[in-house]
Amino acid sequence: MAVPLRRTLIALHRATCNNLKSADGWVDVRQPHPLVVPVRGKKRHFIPPAVGIKEKTKADPEARARAAGLVFRQQYVERSINISCTAGIFDPYIPPEGDARLSTLSREGLKQRTEQLRQSAASQLAIRKIKEHDPLFNTKTFPELAQDIFIQAHMALTQFNKEKLHSLVTERCYPEMTRGNRLKTIRWSFVESLEPPRVVHARCPDMVTKTNLYGQVTLRMHSRQILALYDRFGRLLLGSEDEPKDVLEYLVMERHVVNPYGRWRLHGKIVPAWAPPKDPIMKTVLIPGPKLKPGEDFDALQFEVPKPQSVQWSK
Amino acid sequence: MATACTGRGLSFLRSLTCHVRGTALSGRPPAGLHTSAALEVNKNWERRNLQLYPPQLPGEPRRAAEVHHCRRQIKYSKDKMWYLAKMIRGLSIDQAITQLEFNDKKGAKIVKEVLLEAQDMAVKNHNVEYKSNLYIAESHSGKGKYLKRIRYHGRGMFGIMDKVYCHYFVKLVEGPPPAVEPRTGLDQAQEYLLGLRSRTVRHSL
Repeated sequence: MAVPLRRTLIALHRATCNNLKSADGWVDVRQPHPLVVPVRGKKRHFIPPAVGIKEKTKADPEARARAAGLVFRQQYVERSINISCTAGIFDPYIPPEGDARLSTLSREGLKQRTEQLRQSAASQLAIRKIKEHDPLFNTKTFPELAQDIFIQAHMALTQFNKEKLHSLVTERCYPEMTRGNRLKTIRWSFVESLEPPRVVHARCPDMVTKTNLYGQVTLRMHSRQILALYDRFGRLLLGSEDEPKDVLEYLVMERHVVNPYGRWRLHGKIVPAWAPPKDPIMKTVLIPGPKLKPGEDFDALQFEVPKPQSVQWSK
Repeated sequence: MATACTGRGLSFLRSLTCHVRGTALSGRPPAGLHTSAALEVNKNWERRNLQLYPPQLPGEPRRAAEVHHCRRQIKYSKDKMWYLAKMIRGLSIDQAITQLEFNDKKGAKIVKEVLLEAQDMAVKNHNVEYKSNLYIAESHSGKGKYLKRIRYHGRGMFGIMDKVYCHYFVKLVEGPPPAVEPRTGLDQAQEYLLGLRSRTVRHSL
Protein backbone atom coordinates (compact mmCIF):
# COMPACT_ATOMS: atom_id res chain seq x y z
CA MET A 1 0.00 0.00 0.00
CA ALA A 2 2.86 2.39 0.74
CA VAL A 3 4.51 1.88 -2.67
CA PRO A 4 1.62 2.93 -4.91
CA LEU A 5 1.02 5.98 -2.64
CA ARG A 6 4.60 7.07 -3.08
CA ARG A 7 4.38 6.74 -6.81
CA THR A 8 1.31 8.96 -6.96
CA LEU A 9 3.00 11.50 -4.71
CA ILE A 10 6.05 11.67 -6.95
CA ALA A 11 3.80 11.97 -9.97
CA LEU A 12 1.85 14.77 -8.28
CA HIS A 13 5.05 16.61 -7.38
CA ARG A 14 6.38 16.40 -10.92
CA ALA A 15 3.06 17.52 -12.35
CA THR A 16 2.90 20.61 -10.16
CA CYS A 17 6.52 21.50 -10.90
CA ASN A 18 5.99 21.10 -14.63
CA ASN A 19 2.86 23.24 -14.56
CA LEU A 20 4.60 26.02 -12.76
CA LYS A 21 7.68 25.94 -14.95
CA SER A 22 5.55 26.34 -18.08
CA ALA A 23 4.03 29.61 -16.79
CA ASP A 24 5.78 32.67 -18.38
CA GLY A 25 7.56 35.61 -16.72
CA TRP A 26 7.37 34.33 -13.19
CA VAL A 27 10.95 33.92 -12.10
CA ASP A 28 10.37 34.62 -8.38
CA VAL A 29 7.90 31.82 -7.96
CA ARG A 30 9.02 29.47 -5.30
CA GLN A 31 8.86 25.79 -5.67
CA PRO A 32 5.61 24.65 -4.05
CA HIS A 33 6.05 22.70 -0.83
CA PRO A 34 5.19 19.13 -1.46
CA LEU A 35 2.01 17.86 0.19
CA VAL A 36 3.08 16.19 3.43
CA VAL A 37 1.21 12.99 3.95
CA PRO A 38 2.23 10.89 6.94
CA VAL A 39 3.52 7.57 5.78
CA ARG A 40 2.80 4.61 7.98
CA GLY A 41 5.98 2.98 9.17
CA LYS A 42 6.80 0.09 11.48
CA LYS A 43 6.15 2.06 14.66
CA ARG A 44 3.65 0.32 16.98
CA HIS A 45 0.94 2.77 17.95
CA PHE A 46 -0.70 0.64 20.56
CA ILE A 47 1.57 -0.98 23.09
CA PRO A 48 -0.38 -3.46 25.23
CA PRO A 49 0.08 -3.41 29.00
CA ALA A 50 1.73 -6.85 29.03
CA VAL A 51 4.68 -5.60 27.03
CA GLY A 52 7.24 -3.80 29.17
CA ILE A 53 6.33 -5.44 32.47
CA LYS A 54 9.69 -7.25 32.63
CA GLU A 55 11.57 -3.95 32.62
CA LYS A 56 9.20 -2.55 35.24
CA THR A 57 9.65 -5.51 37.58
CA LYS A 58 13.45 -5.42 37.22
CA ALA A 59 13.63 -1.75 38.20
CA ASP A 60 13.24 -1.27 41.92
CA PRO A 61 9.90 0.52 42.51
CA GLU A 62 11.07 1.75 45.90
CA ALA A 63 14.15 3.42 44.47
CA ARG A 64 12.06 5.00 41.72
CA ALA A 65 9.55 6.33 44.24
CA ARG A 66 12.31 7.78 46.38
CA ALA A 67 13.88 9.40 43.34
CA ALA A 68 10.50 10.87 42.45
CA GLY A 69 10.28 12.39 45.90
CA LEU A 70 7.55 10.17 47.36
CA VAL A 71 8.06 9.81 51.11
CA PHE A 72 6.30 7.23 53.29
CA ARG A 73 5.89 7.98 56.94
CA GLN A 74 7.46 5.46 59.29
CA GLN A 75 5.12 2.53 59.90
CA TYR A 76 4.64 1.70 63.55
CA VAL A 77 4.04 -1.97 64.17
CA GLU A 78 2.31 -1.86 67.49
CA ARG A 79 -0.14 -4.11 69.16
CA SER A 80 -2.66 -2.57 71.48
CA ILE A 81 -3.59 -4.08 74.81
CA ASN A 82 -6.70 -3.46 76.78
CA ILE A 83 -6.16 -2.42 80.39
CA SER A 84 -9.77 -1.99 81.45
CA CYS A 85 -10.12 -5.68 82.32
CA THR A 86 -7.98 -8.71 83.08
CA ALA A 87 -7.67 -11.66 80.78
CA GLY A 88 -9.02 -14.33 83.11
CA ILE A 89 -10.23 -15.28 86.52
CA PHE A 90 -7.42 -15.33 89.08
CA ASP A 91 -7.56 -17.98 91.78
CA PRO A 92 -11.03 -19.16 90.78
CA TYR A 93 -13.59 -20.16 93.31
CA ILE A 94 -14.03 -23.92 93.60
CA PRO A 95 -17.70 -24.51 94.32
CA PRO A 96 -18.23 -27.24 96.91
CA GLU A 97 -19.65 -30.42 95.52
CA GLY A 98 -23.30 -31.00 96.15
CA ASP A 99 -24.20 -27.35 96.28
CA ALA A 100 -27.95 -26.89 95.75
CA ARG A 101 -28.41 -30.61 95.34
CA LEU A 102 -29.84 -33.22 97.65
CA SER A 103 -26.82 -35.06 98.96
CA THR A 104 -26.07 -37.70 101.58
CA LEU A 105 -24.22 -35.10 103.66
CA SER A 106 -26.13 -33.29 106.36
CA ARG A 107 -27.83 -30.13 105.27
CA GLU A 108 -26.56 -28.13 108.18
CA GLY A 109 -22.93 -29.02 107.55
CA LEU A 110 -23.27 -27.99 103.95
CA LYS A 111 -24.85 -24.68 104.95
CA GLN A 112 -22.05 -24.00 107.37
CA ARG A 113 -19.42 -24.65 104.78
CA THR A 114 -20.99 -22.63 102.05
CA GLU A 115 -22.31 -19.67 103.97
CA GLN A 116 -19.26 -18.75 105.89
CA LEU A 117 -17.35 -16.25 103.87
CA ARG A 118 -15.16 -15.49 106.84
CA GLN A 119 -13.35 -18.76 106.36
CA SER A 120 -11.37 -17.45 103.47
CA ALA A 121 -8.92 -14.85 104.70
CA ALA A 122 -7.82 -13.97 101.22
CA SER A 123 -11.40 -13.05 100.32
CA GLN A 124 -11.67 -10.81 103.35
CA LEU A 125 -8.40 -9.10 102.47
CA ALA A 126 -9.58 -8.60 98.92
CA ILE A 127 -12.87 -7.09 100.09
CA ARG A 128 -10.97 -4.74 102.39
CA LYS A 129 -8.77 -3.62 99.48
CA ILE A 130 -11.82 -3.03 97.31
CA LYS A 131 -13.50 -1.01 100.08
CA GLU A 132 -10.40 1.20 100.32
CA HIS A 133 -10.80 2.36 96.77
CA ASP A 134 -14.58 2.12 96.53
CA PRO A 135 -16.22 3.06 99.86
CA LEU A 136 -19.72 2.31 98.54
CA PHE A 137 -18.99 -1.40 98.12
CA ASN A 138 -20.89 -3.59 100.54
CA THR A 139 -21.20 -7.37 100.54
CA LYS A 140 -24.84 -7.05 101.56
CA THR A 141 -26.02 -4.71 98.80
CA PHE A 142 -23.65 -5.75 96.04
CA PRO A 143 -25.38 -9.03 95.07
CA GLU A 144 -28.59 -7.20 94.13
CA LEU A 145 -26.67 -4.81 91.91
CA ALA A 146 -24.81 -7.70 90.33
CA GLN A 147 -28.01 -9.56 89.57
CA ASP A 148 -29.39 -6.41 88.00
CA ILE A 149 -26.32 -6.08 85.79
CA PHE A 150 -26.59 -9.76 84.85
CA ILE A 151 -30.23 -9.41 83.80
CA GLN A 152 -29.59 -6.22 81.84
CA ALA A 153 -26.58 -7.74 80.09
CA HIS A 154 -28.58 -10.74 78.93
CA MET A 155 -31.47 -8.55 77.75
CA ALA A 156 -28.95 -6.49 75.76
CA LEU A 157 -27.63 -9.74 74.31
CA THR A 158 -31.08 -10.75 73.07
CA GLN A 159 -31.51 -7.38 71.36
CA PHE A 160 -27.82 -7.36 70.41
CA ASN A 161 -27.31 -3.84 71.66
CA LYS A 162 -23.54 -3.65 71.39
CA GLU A 163 -22.97 -0.34 73.17
CA LYS A 164 -25.01 -1.32 76.20
CA LEU A 165 -23.44 -4.76 76.29
CA HIS A 166 -19.94 -3.29 76.33
CA SER A 167 -20.81 -1.14 79.31
CA LEU A 168 -22.24 -4.09 81.28
CA VAL A 169 -19.77 -6.79 80.35
CA THR A 170 -15.96 -6.79 80.26
CA GLU A 171 -13.94 -7.06 77.10
CA ARG A 172 -12.91 -10.59 77.99
CA CYS A 173 -16.49 -11.74 78.47
CA TYR A 174 -17.94 -10.02 75.42
CA PRO A 175 -16.55 -12.33 72.71
CA GLU A 176 -17.48 -15.38 74.75
CA MET A 177 -21.06 -14.17 75.02
CA THR A 178 -21.45 -13.08 71.43
CA ARG A 179 -19.36 -15.54 69.41
CA GLY A 180 -21.47 -17.23 66.79
CA ASN A 181 -24.57 -15.37 67.89
CA ARG A 182 -24.82 -12.83 65.11
CA LEU A 183 -26.67 -15.26 62.88
CA LYS A 184 -28.78 -16.69 65.67
CA THR A 185 -31.81 -15.39 67.58
CA ILE A 186 -31.68 -15.65 71.36
CA ARG A 187 -34.83 -15.49 73.48
CA TRP A 188 -34.00 -15.22 77.16
CA SER A 189 -35.98 -14.13 80.16
CA PHE A 190 -35.40 -14.13 83.89
CA VAL A 191 -38.41 -15.62 85.66
CA GLU A 192 -37.46 -15.35 89.34
CA SER A 193 -34.64 -15.80 91.79
CA LEU A 194 -34.98 -18.94 93.90
CA GLU A 195 -32.40 -17.94 96.48
CA PRO A 196 -31.05 -14.47 97.20
CA PRO A 197 -27.68 -14.12 95.49
CA ARG A 198 -24.64 -13.80 97.71
CA VAL A 199 -20.94 -13.13 97.51
CA VAL A 200 -18.91 -16.33 97.95
CA HIS A 201 -15.41 -15.36 96.90
CA ALA A 202 -13.35 -12.25 96.25
CA ARG A 203 -9.88 -11.62 94.94
CA CYS A 204 -8.00 -8.45 94.16
CA PRO A 205 -5.17 -9.25 91.76
CA ASP A 206 -2.74 -6.61 90.54
CA MET A 207 -1.37 -6.38 87.01
CA VAL A 208 2.18 -5.29 86.19
CA THR A 209 2.53 -2.93 89.18
CA LYS A 210 1.47 -3.45 92.78
CA THR A 211 -0.94 -0.51 92.73
CA ASN A 212 -2.84 -1.47 89.57
CA LEU A 213 -5.65 -3.42 91.26
CA TYR A 214 -8.62 -5.21 89.75
CA GLY A 215 -11.36 -6.49 91.97
CA GLN A 216 -12.95 -9.84 91.10
CA VAL A 217 -15.96 -10.92 93.13
CA THR A 218 -17.71 -14.26 92.68
CA LEU A 219 -21.43 -14.51 93.34
CA ARG A 220 -23.60 -17.54 93.71
CA MET A 221 -26.97 -17.21 92.00
CA HIS A 222 -29.79 -19.74 92.00
CA SER A 223 -32.57 -18.67 89.69
CA ARG A 224 -35.17 -19.73 87.19
CA GLN A 225 -34.59 -18.72 83.59
CA ILE A 226 -36.09 -19.34 80.15
CA LEU A 227 -33.72 -19.75 77.24
CA ALA A 228 -34.56 -20.57 73.63
CA LEU A 229 -31.95 -20.45 70.87
CA TYR A 230 -32.97 -20.26 67.21
CA ASP A 231 -30.62 -20.69 64.27
CA ARG A 232 -30.37 -18.52 61.17
CA PHE A 233 -33.57 -19.92 59.65
CA GLY A 234 -35.68 -19.51 62.78
CA ARG A 235 -35.60 -23.18 63.79
CA LEU A 236 -35.26 -24.13 67.42
CA LEU A 237 -31.75 -25.23 68.34
CA LEU A 238 -31.83 -25.44 72.10
CA GLY A 239 -34.21 -24.94 75.00
CA SER A 240 -37.83 -23.94 74.89
CA GLU A 241 -39.77 -20.75 75.46
CA ASP A 242 -42.40 -22.32 77.71
CA GLU A 243 -40.33 -24.32 80.16
CA PRO A 244 -38.33 -22.39 82.77
CA LYS A 245 -35.21 -24.09 84.08
CA ASP A 246 -33.55 -23.86 87.50
CA VAL A 247 -30.04 -22.58 87.09
CA LEU A 248 -27.24 -22.44 89.65
CA GLU A 249 -24.53 -20.09 88.48
CA TYR A 250 -21.30 -18.70 89.83
CA LEU A 251 -20.80 -15.29 88.28
CA VAL A 252 -17.57 -13.34 88.41
CA MET A 253 -17.87 -9.56 88.44
CA GLU A 254 -14.83 -7.42 87.85
CA ARG A 255 -13.92 -3.78 88.29
CA HIS A 256 -10.77 -1.80 87.75
CA VAL A 257 -10.91 -0.35 91.27
CA VAL A 258 -8.03 2.10 90.80
CA ASN A 259 -9.88 3.77 87.92
CA PRO A 260 -12.40 6.31 89.30
CA TYR A 261 -14.65 5.74 86.28
CA GLY A 262 -14.51 1.98 86.54
CA ARG A 263 -17.72 0.01 86.85
CA TRP A 264 -18.62 -3.42 88.06
CA ARG A 265 -19.10 -5.58 85.00
CA LEU A 266 -19.74 -9.24 84.33
CA HIS A 267 -16.40 -10.93 83.74
CA GLY A 268 -17.25 -14.59 83.43
CA LYS A 269 -18.94 -17.65 84.83
CA ILE A 270 -17.47 -20.61 86.66
CA VAL A 271 -18.78 -24.00 85.61
CA PRO A 272 -18.02 -26.55 88.35
CA ALA A 273 -16.68 -30.00 87.58
CA TRP A 274 -19.76 -31.64 89.05
CA ALA A 275 -22.20 -29.64 86.94
CA PRO A 276 -24.90 -31.81 85.35
CA PRO A 277 -24.67 -32.23 81.58
CA LYS A 278 -26.70 -29.81 79.50
CA ASP A 279 -29.75 -30.84 77.52
CA PRO A 280 -28.90 -32.44 74.17
CA ILE A 281 -29.34 -30.29 71.04
CA MET A 282 -32.05 -31.14 68.55
CA LYS A 283 -29.65 -32.33 65.92
CA THR A 284 -27.61 -35.40 65.04
CA VAL A 285 -23.92 -34.69 65.07
CA LEU A 286 -21.25 -36.75 63.35
CA ILE A 287 -18.49 -37.72 65.77
CA PRO A 288 -15.24 -38.43 63.96
CA GLY A 289 -14.20 -42.04 64.30
CA PRO A 290 -10.77 -43.42 65.16
CA LYS A 291 -7.93 -43.12 62.67
CA LEU A 292 -7.54 -46.50 61.02
CA LYS A 293 -4.42 -47.92 59.43
CA PRO A 294 -4.87 -49.33 55.94
CA GLY A 295 -6.22 -52.83 56.30
CA GLU A 296 -7.92 -52.26 59.64
CA ASP A 297 -11.64 -52.55 60.01
CA PHE A 298 -13.86 -50.26 62.03
CA ASP A 299 -15.56 -52.21 64.80
CA ALA A 300 -18.72 -50.28 65.63
CA LEU A 301 -19.57 -52.40 68.67
CA GLN A 302 -16.20 -52.02 70.37
CA PHE A 303 -15.93 -48.29 69.70
CA GLU A 304 -16.69 -46.06 72.70
CA VAL A 305 -17.79 -42.51 72.15
CA PRO A 306 -15.25 -40.29 74.00
CA LYS A 307 -16.85 -38.44 76.89
CA PRO A 308 -15.66 -34.99 77.95
CA GLN A 309 -13.60 -34.74 81.13
CA SER A 310 -15.37 -33.34 84.17
CA VAL A 311 -13.12 -30.41 84.94
CA GLN A 312 -14.00 -27.06 86.36
CA TRP A 313 -13.71 -24.38 83.71
CA SER A 314 -14.62 -20.74 83.54
CA LYS A 315 -16.72 -19.33 80.78
CA MET B 1 -3.61 7.14 56.02
CA ALA B 2 -3.00 3.93 57.92
CA THR B 3 0.56 4.96 58.59
CA ALA B 4 -0.57 8.26 60.02
CA CYS B 5 -1.98 6.61 63.14
CA THR B 6 -0.20 4.51 65.71
CA GLY B 7 -1.20 0.94 66.25
CA ARG B 8 -3.40 1.86 69.16
CA GLY B 9 -5.12 4.60 67.28
CA LEU B 10 -5.70 2.28 64.36
CA SER B 11 -7.41 -0.31 66.52
CA PHE B 12 -9.53 2.44 68.07
CA LEU B 13 -10.58 3.61 64.60
CA ARG B 14 -11.30 0.04 63.60
CA SER B 15 -13.48 -0.40 66.67
CA LEU B 16 -15.35 2.81 65.76
CA THR B 17 -15.99 1.64 62.23
CA CYS B 18 -17.12 -1.73 63.56
CA HIS B 19 -19.69 0.07 65.68
CA VAL B 20 -20.88 2.02 62.66
CA ARG B 21 -21.22 -1.08 60.53
CA GLY B 22 -23.98 -2.43 62.69
CA THR B 23 -25.88 -4.64 60.26
CA ALA B 24 -24.54 -7.61 58.39
CA LEU B 25 -25.33 -6.07 55.00
CA SER B 26 -23.18 -2.90 55.03
CA GLY B 27 -19.82 -3.94 53.66
CA ARG B 28 -19.98 -1.36 50.87
CA PRO B 29 -17.91 1.82 50.77
CA PRO B 30 -19.59 4.85 52.41
CA ALA B 31 -22.19 6.74 50.41
CA GLY B 32 -20.05 9.83 49.78
CA LEU B 33 -17.13 7.93 48.28
CA HIS B 34 -17.20 7.36 44.53
CA THR B 35 -15.26 4.42 43.10
CA SER B 36 -15.18 3.46 39.44
CA ALA B 37 -17.24 0.54 38.22
CA ALA B 38 -14.07 -1.39 37.37
CA LEU B 39 -12.92 -1.44 41.01
CA GLU B 40 -16.24 -2.26 42.68
CA VAL B 41 -16.90 -5.96 42.86
CA ASN B 42 -20.33 -7.42 43.47
CA LYS B 43 -20.40 -9.64 46.56
CA ASN B 44 -24.16 -10.05 46.80
CA TRP B 45 -24.12 -13.82 46.56
CA GLU B 46 -21.93 -14.10 49.68
CA ARG B 47 -24.15 -11.61 51.50
CA ARG B 48 -27.14 -13.89 51.09
CA ASN B 49 -25.59 -16.16 53.69
CA LEU B 50 -25.84 -13.39 56.29
CA GLN B 51 -29.62 -13.07 56.10
CA LEU B 52 -31.27 -13.77 59.44
CA TYR B 53 -34.84 -15.07 59.55
CA PRO B 54 -37.12 -14.48 62.55
CA PRO B 55 -37.93 -17.47 64.75
CA GLN B 56 -40.65 -19.70 63.39
CA LEU B 57 -43.97 -20.13 65.17
CA PRO B 58 -44.73 -23.68 66.36
CA GLY B 59 -47.43 -24.26 63.72
CA GLU B 60 -45.30 -23.29 60.71
CA PRO B 61 -43.62 -25.92 58.51
CA ARG B 62 -39.90 -26.17 59.13
CA ARG B 63 -38.01 -23.74 56.94
CA ALA B 64 -35.38 -25.44 54.80
CA ALA B 65 -31.78 -24.35 55.31
CA GLU B 66 -30.12 -22.61 52.34
CA VAL B 67 -26.44 -22.22 51.68
CA HIS B 68 -25.08 -19.86 49.02
CA HIS B 69 -21.53 -20.45 47.84
CA CYS B 70 -19.46 -19.21 44.94
CA ARG B 71 -15.97 -19.17 43.55
CA ARG B 72 -14.68 -16.05 41.81
CA GLN B 73 -12.25 -15.55 38.94
CA ILE B 74 -11.96 -19.15 37.77
CA LYS B 75 -9.69 -19.44 34.74
CA TYR B 76 -12.37 -20.96 32.51
CA SER B 77 -14.92 -19.76 30.02
CA LYS B 78 -18.38 -18.85 31.33
CA ASP B 79 -20.02 -20.52 28.35
CA LYS B 80 -18.15 -23.76 28.96
CA MET B 81 -18.93 -23.55 32.66
CA TRP B 82 -22.62 -23.12 31.85
CA TYR B 83 -22.80 -26.69 30.54
CA LEU B 84 -21.62 -28.06 33.88
CA ALA B 85 -23.89 -25.75 35.86
CA LYS B 86 -26.89 -26.81 33.78
CA MET B 87 -26.01 -30.47 34.17
CA ILE B 88 -26.17 -30.45 37.97
CA ARG B 89 -29.28 -28.28 38.41
CA GLY B 90 -31.90 -30.10 40.48
CA LEU B 91 -29.73 -33.08 41.39
CA SER B 92 -29.01 -34.18 44.93
CA ILE B 93 -25.55 -33.25 46.12
CA ASP B 94 -24.19 -36.80 46.14
CA GLN B 95 -25.40 -37.42 42.59
CA ALA B 96 -23.95 -34.11 41.42
CA ILE B 97 -20.56 -34.86 42.94
CA THR B 98 -20.51 -38.32 41.35
CA GLN B 99 -21.40 -36.95 37.93
CA LEU B 100 -18.73 -34.26 38.13
CA GLU B 101 -16.09 -36.72 39.25
CA PHE B 102 -16.43 -38.70 36.04
CA ASN B 103 -16.71 -35.68 33.75
CA ASP B 104 -13.66 -34.91 31.65
CA LYS B 105 -13.96 -31.13 31.57
CA LYS B 106 -11.54 -28.85 33.39
CA GLY B 107 -14.39 -27.00 35.07
CA ALA B 108 -15.82 -30.22 36.52
CA LYS B 109 -12.99 -30.52 39.05
CA ILE B 110 -13.49 -26.92 40.16
CA VAL B 111 -17.26 -27.24 40.47
CA LYS B 112 -16.85 -30.41 42.49
CA GLU B 113 -14.50 -28.59 44.91
CA VAL B 114 -17.02 -25.78 45.27
CA LEU B 115 -19.81 -28.25 46.02
CA LEU B 116 -17.76 -30.03 48.66
CA GLU B 117 -16.84 -26.72 50.29
CA ALA B 118 -20.49 -25.67 50.31
CA GLN B 119 -21.53 -28.99 51.85
CA ASP B 120 -18.91 -28.58 54.57
CA MET B 121 -20.03 -25.01 55.26
CA ALA B 122 -23.65 -26.11 55.46
CA VAL B 123 -22.94 -28.73 58.10
CA LYS B 124 -20.58 -26.61 60.19
CA ASN B 125 -22.03 -23.10 59.97
CA HIS B 126 -25.63 -23.32 58.80
CA ASN B 127 -27.07 -26.03 61.04
CA VAL B 128 -27.72 -28.64 58.38
CA GLU B 129 -28.17 -31.98 60.05
CA TYR B 130 -27.35 -34.51 57.35
CA LYS B 131 -24.79 -33.64 54.74
CA SER B 132 -26.46 -35.82 52.09
CA ASN B 133 -29.84 -34.21 52.62
CA LEU B 134 -29.02 -31.32 50.28
CA TYR B 135 -29.93 -30.63 46.68
CA ILE B 136 -28.80 -28.06 44.17
CA ALA B 137 -31.51 -25.46 43.85
CA GLU B 138 -29.63 -22.87 41.79
CA SER B 139 -26.42 -23.21 39.84
CA HIS B 140 -25.10 -20.79 37.25
CA SER B 141 -21.94 -19.22 35.93
CA GLY B 142 -21.13 -15.58 35.44
CA LYS B 143 -18.51 -13.50 33.65
CA GLY B 144 -15.43 -12.55 35.64
CA LYS B 145 -12.98 -9.69 35.05
CA TYR B 146 -11.08 -10.37 31.83
CA LEU B 147 -7.44 -9.58 31.15
CA LYS B 148 -6.68 -8.17 27.71
CA ARG B 149 -3.74 -9.24 25.61
CA ILE B 150 -2.60 -8.75 22.02
CA ARG B 151 -3.08 -11.41 19.43
CA TYR B 152 -0.83 -10.72 16.46
CA HIS B 153 -2.22 -11.19 12.98
CA GLY B 154 -0.52 -10.85 9.62
CA ARG B 155 0.12 -7.56 7.84
CA GLY B 156 0.62 -5.67 11.08
CA MET B 157 -2.94 -6.25 12.17
CA PHE B 158 -3.79 -7.24 15.70
CA GLY B 159 -6.71 -8.35 17.73
CA ILE B 160 -7.35 -7.86 21.42
CA MET B 161 -7.37 -11.28 23.03
CA ASP B 162 -9.45 -11.74 26.17
CA LYS B 163 -8.09 -13.99 28.90
CA VAL B 164 -11.43 -15.24 30.13
CA TYR B 165 -12.38 -15.71 33.76
CA CYS B 166 -15.70 -16.78 35.19
CA HIS B 167 -17.51 -17.03 38.50
CA TYR B 168 -19.49 -20.04 39.58
CA PHE B 169 -22.50 -19.73 41.92
CA VAL B 170 -24.38 -22.49 43.66
CA LYS B 171 -27.25 -22.58 46.14
CA LEU B 172 -27.82 -25.72 48.18
CA VAL B 173 -31.13 -26.28 49.93
CA GLU B 174 -31.82 -28.85 52.62
CA GLY B 175 -34.19 -31.64 51.76
CA PRO B 176 -34.72 -34.26 49.06
CA PRO B 177 -34.49 -32.98 45.46
CA PRO B 178 -37.88 -31.89 44.12
CA ALA B 179 -39.48 -34.45 41.82
CA VAL B 180 -39.55 -33.25 38.23
CA GLU B 181 -42.51 -34.44 36.19
CA PRO B 182 -41.28 -35.72 32.87
CA ARG B 183 -42.84 -33.71 30.05
CA THR B 184 -43.20 -35.73 26.89
CA GLY B 185 -43.69 -34.39 23.38
CA LEU B 186 -47.33 -35.42 23.56
CA ASP B 187 -47.85 -33.31 26.69
CA GLN B 188 -46.28 -30.31 25.02
CA ALA B 189 -48.41 -30.77 21.94
CA GLN B 190 -51.57 -31.01 24.03
CA GLU B 191 -50.64 -27.85 25.92
CA TYR B 192 -50.07 -26.07 22.62
CA LEU B 193 -53.47 -27.10 21.35
CA LEU B 194 -55.06 -25.97 24.62
CA GLY B 195 -53.40 -22.61 24.26
CA LEU B 196 -54.70 -22.22 20.73
CA ARG B 197 -58.23 -23.21 21.68
CA SER B 198 -58.42 -20.87 24.66
CA ARG B 199 -57.70 -17.77 22.61
CA THR B 200 -60.34 -15.06 22.72
CA VAL B 201 -61.05 -13.51 19.36
CA ARG B 202 -61.96 -9.85 19.64
CA HIS B 203 -63.90 -7.65 17.25
CA SER B 204 -64.84 -10.56 15.08
CA LEU B 205 -67.98 -10.97 13.07
